[in-house]
Order: sequence, then C-alpha cells, then structure tokens
Amino acid sequence: MLFRAFTKVFQRPLYLAIGILIGSTSFVFIIWLPNIGLVTEILFSSGSLSERIALPVSLLGSISTNFTTLSASFVIAIAVLLGINLAMTTFFIRHRISSVRQSGAATGFIGTVSGMLGVGCAGCGSILLTTVLAWVGAGALIRLLPLQGEEFGIIGVILLAISIFLTAKQIDNPVVCKI
Amino acid sequence: MTEIQKQAQSNKLSIAVAIIVAGIIIAGTMYLSGRGNSVDTGPETKVSIEKTEGLENMNPITGADHIFGNPNAPVKIVEYSDFECPACKLFQTIMIRVMDNYGKSGKVAWVYRHYPIDLLHPLNARKEAVASECAAELGGNDTFWKFANRFFEISLSNDETDINVALPQVAREIGLDEKQFEACLTSGKYDAHIQEDIDNANATGGRGTPWSIVVGQNGKKYPLSGVWPEATIKQLIDRALSLRSK
Repeated sequence: MLFRAFTKVFQRPLYLAIGILIGSTSFVFIIWLPNIGLVTEILFSSGSLSERIALPVSLLGSISTNFTTLSASFVIAIAVLLGINLAMTTFFIRHRISSVRQSGAATGFIGTVSGMLGVGCAGCGSILLTTVLAWVGAGALIRLLPLQGEEFGIIGVILLAISIFLTAKQIDNPVVCKI
Repeated sequence: MTEIQKQAQSNKLSIAVAIIVAGIIIAGTMYLSGRGNSVDTGPETKVSIEKTEGLENMNPITGADHIFGNPNAPVKIVEYSDFECPACKLFQTIMIRVMDNYGKSGKVAWVYRHYPIDLLHPLNARKEAVASECAAELGGNDTFWKFANRFFEISLSNDETDINVALPQVAREIGLDEKQFEACLTSGKYDAHIQEDIDNANATGGRGTPWSIVVGQNGKKYPLSGVWPEATIKQLIDRALSLRSK
C-alpha cells in the first residue's frame, strides 16, 4: 500500500522535485538555525557569490560537530520525512481527493512542529524549545526531560511517519462509491 | 455545494491553517531567540528584553581575561564555556588545532570566559569554573590553560564527573599546592566574577555553550554559536582578518 502510494506520487517528476526541495531546504535550515543571523549577514554581504556562500556551505559540516549523534539522526530523518510528507500532501490537494481525512494533515503538522522543537545542537539542547520555555518562564522544565528536549525530535519523526502512512493510505485507497 | 465539496474545502482550509500556524510558531521562536533574551540559567540572570545590540554588550577584553596567544592579535575569539558541556569539550580540541595554525603566527588570540549552565549542569559547572580561576590565581595564565585543557580531557561531562576526585587530580598534575587550591575553592571569592561572565554571555545573546564571539581588528563582531568544524572556523577567521583596522 505504501509502495503503491509512493509510486503514484513520486513517479511524477514534479512531486519528486517538491520532496527533494523541501527535504534539502529543511535540512539546510535546521543546520543553519543556531547561527542563522550570521549566515544571513554573510549571504547578503558584499563580495563575490563564491565568497558569500563558501562559509554557509562549509557550515553544513557542523552536522557532525554541532549535533549529538541522536540529534543528527533525527535532523536527517525529519528533513527526509518532511519532504515526503509535503510532496504527498501536495499531491492529494492537487488531485482533489475530497475524502482525505484531516487526521493525516494534522498529524503531519504536529509532527513538523514537534520535530522542530526537538532540533538542537550538542551544546545548547533544543534551541527552539529552550527559547519557547524560557519565554514563558518554564526553562527549568527542560532539565526534567531525560534527553533534554531531544524527545521532541523523536516524537516529530514518529508523527511524520504516521502522517505519511495515513496520507499514503488515502492516496492508495480513496473513498469511492462502491458499485 | 454538496457535502463532499464542503468537506474538501474544509480540508484544504485546515491544511492551509496548519501550515500558517507552524510557520508562525517557527518564525516566532526564531525572532525570540535572536533578540538577546536570556536563558534562565540562574536566579539573577534575567536581562532586559529590550537590549537589541547583543554582541556590542560584550565586555571589553582586558589583561584580567584568560588569553591564549598574542593579546594584541588582530582577531580574537572570545569563548563563553562550561566545563561540564560535552560540546565545549569538543570545541576545546578544535580550538587547540585552530590555535596551532593561527596562534603561533600571532594572528588570533583565544579568550576564555565562563558560562556554566545551571539549568543543565547544576552540580559541578560553577565549581569547576571557580577551580579554573583558582588555578589562574595560584599559577598564572599558563596554568589556567593547563587546567582547562586537562580538565576537559578527563571530564565525563553532564555532571557525571566526580569533582572530589577530578579537581585535586588536575591540581596535582599541573603542579598546584593542593591545600591552597582547596582553600581557594571554598573561599567564594570568584563567585561574583563567574556570575559577571554569565550575565555578559546572556547580554551578548548566548543561548547555550559554547558561545563565541569572533572580534575582527576593526571591532566587527561575529557570533559563533555551538561547535563549528575547524575549516569553517578558519574561514570566519580569514574573513575577520581581511577586515581593515579602524
């Protein structure tokens, strides 16, 4: 069922391109996030294009230094799953599969948010989660978590996988009037 | 409009709303994390959320700082670090290699300041920061760096180090008088200094450790959050070196 749905979606170059674009953009965004201010400044600074992109591209190597093994694993997983998820979601929106239940999209949304909260660097834990909790004055809560926020990344991966499954199910077996 | 058409429209709308809400959450947290707000690392570290020029809040580098390399180097890397942070442990090894390249030529100086994260390492981090100051007091700047390098080598990180064993061990290895070292550790004389470094790290926009600021020779500052690969650090240093002095 999953294979049929995947084939239906990704044999079309448009959705394959969407998946690759979303996945790679997500990956790059997550890696750059701890240093997004500096990356933006350098990208838009004066100088040749090669000079401006050299450092940000080099910074992609920080997947091996700035992330724990677990965190790096689910960064990659989230990026890949997000690309697949959004490509499949785009497919069924465009093909007007009107009986698609909302559960797939909602699960994917929660999975995306959870995944983003769980992303963080080796030293700083979950950047977004720390920021969100600190803003509401609950920063100490992160210490109660055994993986100090990385649980959200794991949850994000699981929810994105569930969302893909639910979406694939609907793509493969849309409700039709049975004769 | 049929029931199916209404449901389809509702589905599209819910998906669109979900995407917009997710975007707002992510954009909002990016905005908040970029404002120089403090992370709640201790009881007295809340900084006004109105400070917007984070890097310019960095305390000037003085002779009282722990400096590795040429104090008059054109580029200085000011690192705010935590002795119990595993990322800082990795960053230490990377910076040692960076300084092997740039430090010997006098182009780069490495400045160490304290940023123990009480939220994550409430047991040991501050005490280890104090211990490093005691090493500096008893043996000078070179001894400080011997302490830092050796402690990071043997530390298990994440408050798993038995400091009752580790601190005396390192003190012995680097040639400190153990009694004087112990007396200094319990004196409390460096608590205010450690807190001052923490407050400054927060004021500059630090969100965790290691948090570094690369200062070019014209005073231009670049934030360096986390552990960068050695090659990327060198690129940033080269960029800072290329800036003309004021």
